[in-house]
Amino acid sequence: MSLTSLTSIAPDTQADPASQSSISLRNLWATWHSWSNRIFALREDQLFLFLAVLIGIFSGLAVVCFRIAIEWVHLLTLGSSIYPPSHRVVLVPVLGGIAVALLVIYVFPGARGSGVNQTKAAVYISNGYIPFNACVGKFLICARGIGTGQSLGPEDPSLQIGAGIASHLGRRLNLSQEKVRLIAPVGAAAGLAAAFNAPISSVIFVIEEVIGTWSAGVLGAIVLAAVSAVVTMRSFMGPDAFFRVPPFRIARASELLAYLVLGIVGGGLSLGFLKWLAYARPKIQNWPPWTRYLQPAAAGLAIGFIGIRLPQVMGAGYFVIDQALHGQFSWKLLIVLAVLKIFATGISFLSGTPGGMFAPTLFIGAMLGGAVGSIERHFFPGLTGTVGTYALVGMGVFFAGFLRTPITSVFMVIEVSGSYTAILPIMIANLVAYLISRTYQKVPLFDLLARQDGFVLPSIEKEREQVPLTVEVAMMTTDSAVVALPEELAGDLAKRIDAKQDAPIFVRMAPGQWRLLDREEIHHLAADGSMNTKAAAEAKPKGPLPVLFRDQSLEDALHAVGDWPAVPVVSRADLSKLEGVVTLADILRCFRNASPE
Amino acid sequence: MASTSIPSSATGGKKRAREIVLLITLVLLLLCTIFTAFGARMYHKKYHVLGDEWFAKGEQDFRSGDASGALSDYRNALLYSPSNVNLQFHLAKALAATGHDDEARAYLTTLLSDSPGSGEINLELARIAAGGGPEAMPEALRYYHAAIYGVWEADPLGMRWQVRKEFCKYLLKNNAINQAEAEIMELADNTSPEDISGQKVAGDLLLRAHMWSRALQQFQTLLTHDANGEDALAGAATAAFQLGQYAEADEYLSRMPREKASTPDLAKIRQITRDVVSLNPYVRDLSTDERAKRAAAALSIAQVRANACIHRNVVPPAGNSSASALETALRASTQNANDWSPRNLRKYPERVDPAMSSVFELEDAAVNQCGEPQGSDYALWLIGRSRGGSSR
Repeated sequence: MSLTSLTSIAPDTQADPASQSSISLRNLWATWHSWSNRIFALREDQLFLFLAVLIGIFSGLAVVCFRIAIEWVHLLTLGSSIYPPSHRVVLVPVLGGIAVALLVIYVFPGARGSGVNQTKAAVYISNGYIPFNACVGKFLICARGIGTGQSLGPEDPSLQIGAGIASHLGRRLNLSQEKVRLIAPVGAAAGLAAAFNAPISSVIFVIEEVIGTWSAGVLGAIVLAAVSAVVTMRSFMGPDAFFRVPPFRIARASELLAYLVLGIVGGGLSLGFLKWLAYARPKIQNWPPWTRYLQPAAAGLAIGFIGIRLPQVMGAGYFVIDQALHGQFSWKLLIVLAVLKIFATGISFLSGTPGGMFAPTLFIGAMLGGAVGSIERHFFPGLTGTVGTYALVGMGVFFAGFLRTPITSVFMVIEVSGSYTAILPIMIANLVAYLISRTYQKVPLFDLLARQDGFVLPSIEKEREQVPLTVEVAMMTTDSAVVALPEELAGDLAKRIDAKQDAPIFVRMAPGQWRLLDREEIHHLAADGSMNTKAAAEAKPKGPLPVLFRDQSLEDALHAVGDWPAVPVVSRADLSKLEGVVTLADILRCFRNASPE
Repeated sequence: MASTSIPSSATGGKKRAREIVLLITLVLLLLCTIFTAFGARMYHKKYHVLGDEWFAKGEQDFRSGDASGALSDYRNALLYSPSNVNLQFHLAKALAATGHDDEARAYLTTLLSDSPGSGEINLELARIAAGGGPEAMPEALRYYHAAIYGVWEADPLGMRWQVRKEFCKYLLKNNAINQAEAEIMELADNTSPEDISGQKVAGDLLLRAHMWSRALQQFQTLLTHDANGEDALAGAATAAFQLGQYAEADEYLSRMPREKASTPDLAKIRQITRDVVSLNPYVRDLSTDERAKRAAAALSIAQVRANACIHRNVVPPAGNSSASALETALRASTQNANDWSPRNLRKYPERVDPAMSSVFELEDAAVNQCGEPQGSDYALWLIGRSRGGSSR
């Protein structure tokens, strides 16, 4: 029943308010019923898009609450000053660490980790299932941990919170198994987008790191969710970019060399950080179980002692990044902050405190970039880029080198700074850092962590960089086939095929239309002496051959070949031009040769 | 996307369950939105309060001269109001005041990109550039000009005048006299005749730029408002003195209170002025006797100075013929001693000029040989210069 009908019956029920109220409720329910029926009458992929918007809004709200919770915890425990009193700086992270340990061990064991691998595991291992209490745990524990000064960020947890909401909603609405599996990345993109106020990079990150494919089926939902989440977040927290970047310009192309140096230094340092985590994590995991109660507190104590002199190292550190972007620190302090942040983030993460690596990565990169920029400007005063510019580029450099998501790193820096001006230096420096990290550390961070936790997730980086095998690798040249024209007499053809034993015989009927003839059949027809090849080919019950192009993947070729003995490879520009021949045996040989063993 | 339709065999119960879940979801969404809105409102309110508190504390510290305390407070405030432009501007000022020029410049440049015409921001940038030494001068000039012609929300004319004044001082400090002259003229022209303190400032700047005529004019205008204004009298006296208008300078000085006139600079000017006035034979309305008497006295003073100078036996630099010039001049003067005796000068007033020329020649030569003269010799040298020289 529509709203119009609702209003039309209203005058008849004016006499009895009770019954009027009852009828109104009934009508309201009917309206809802009609509306929900329309929703559920949608095809599941359309419903999926509708849910993506809902997930985006929910994730946006959750992330807003998460950010507020972190800030409140910080204000309540450490106070409002950038430089809190020393006793607080030491005590608060320790007590926070104890609380975190108890919550993780006794209440929310599913809340461990950064959140990215947990989401990937949900997609690839548990069919998109993320327990809802893991999200609640992530929210509460991370708010407490980060708010009390642990050197971790809220982005990866936001990603998992978004994924958890999506997973929960998908299951409750009885979506198909496939959709429930796909819905977690949708929520992940929404959570990350809201956390960073960066819809593009969150979409790219989820594609680059979580699902690893530009699938049209899920891309629309991911984009919708990310946009909804960011719109929701901005409605409550304002539209400003995370950081305010001073304007700059590159006067000479040669200045890009300075950023290249930054890429090399950043790549080296991010590699060192990665190696340290890879080395130390299994060792700490092998410590006696009782130490898990104390590890976050011990990390908190160390961070607290650092925080007495340098409170900038505590927490996510967005404000400090902003200061670095405005050139507020000397190069010596920048280096000290970068090194200490690496240490603080490392011990926070290794202690098992749930929390993200995104913000610390940006922090370290900004400090490093600022330091390198300051030193370069000291020796080359002609460089026009400000220290802030180097800090900005440094953020992307460390992100690319440490998290190994090169495209995300570029867009992330552009979005969080709201500035497009540094795109060239960012691209160059990020690429260099990424290449250095990839060359000397084969397994990326998230894959490494997953393996250390005892499960194997698909390596998106490996998939991304895998060169697909193409038909060109498997195909034989045109010499290994016989091509007949439709009007050619079977007798003439029989003479030709004798010269090429075992070669398949293709008849070119029309552009793109090829048929295959049997050798015995041609000899048999040749004996009659009258029939041409066209008639012979058309007489065959099996239809025209599938054609392949040399750039198509071997998987495509495998599907195409089916039970045909051979398939023609033709030119994309001229479908009647044969470029080669592919057989099933050739395809299998290529697959065998390409396998790592 | 391969469409996976909802199974058509789904029971009515299942459908109802999904409907309820969707309804609960939407209700939850509404509740969550309300809750988040409430939380966000509290959060922003708290941040706003904290930002204001730290900002007020910073203002207090800055006003009391504790720039580093203010800097810390402003940083705290900025944590809670990161997009507060006014706060960023104050932070930049505190940074500049504590010597963090680079950081201040970074903040100001960002602010300037949002408000390129802001007079305040350009002025702060100009001040930072001005503190950066001579190599930063082009930058300082650019920012000062942008500040002068920039947008000022409150009292734009007054602010522009103040900025120009600061700019003029900067230019004078850096010996950019040509640029300073133009700016000071502009400043003086843009100073309202009723603005007495402004006129004084303009006059002082004109003096500092050695624009004596314009300065004298400026101070004379001021004296029309207040004939006994001490600063105006001092300025006018100085300008008149530099223009060689010693009688006028003496008159201004004599109108000044004793305490003011006894300040070292003015006392010196007054002494010289009096010497010049008392020794100068060219003062109007002098009697022939007095003129002759002054010329004879001047000749005597100059010869004494020349003799003393020659007897110092200072070896002149190679190629410098001033020692011989002095001796030649002294010889000529001595040879004419009889012609230029007080009696003959009285008798033949036309000999005063050649006698005084000899005096000026002797003083000039002595200056070349022995440096700047003192006392009466200085007065005679100045008379000579005012007779033969020019002023701006």
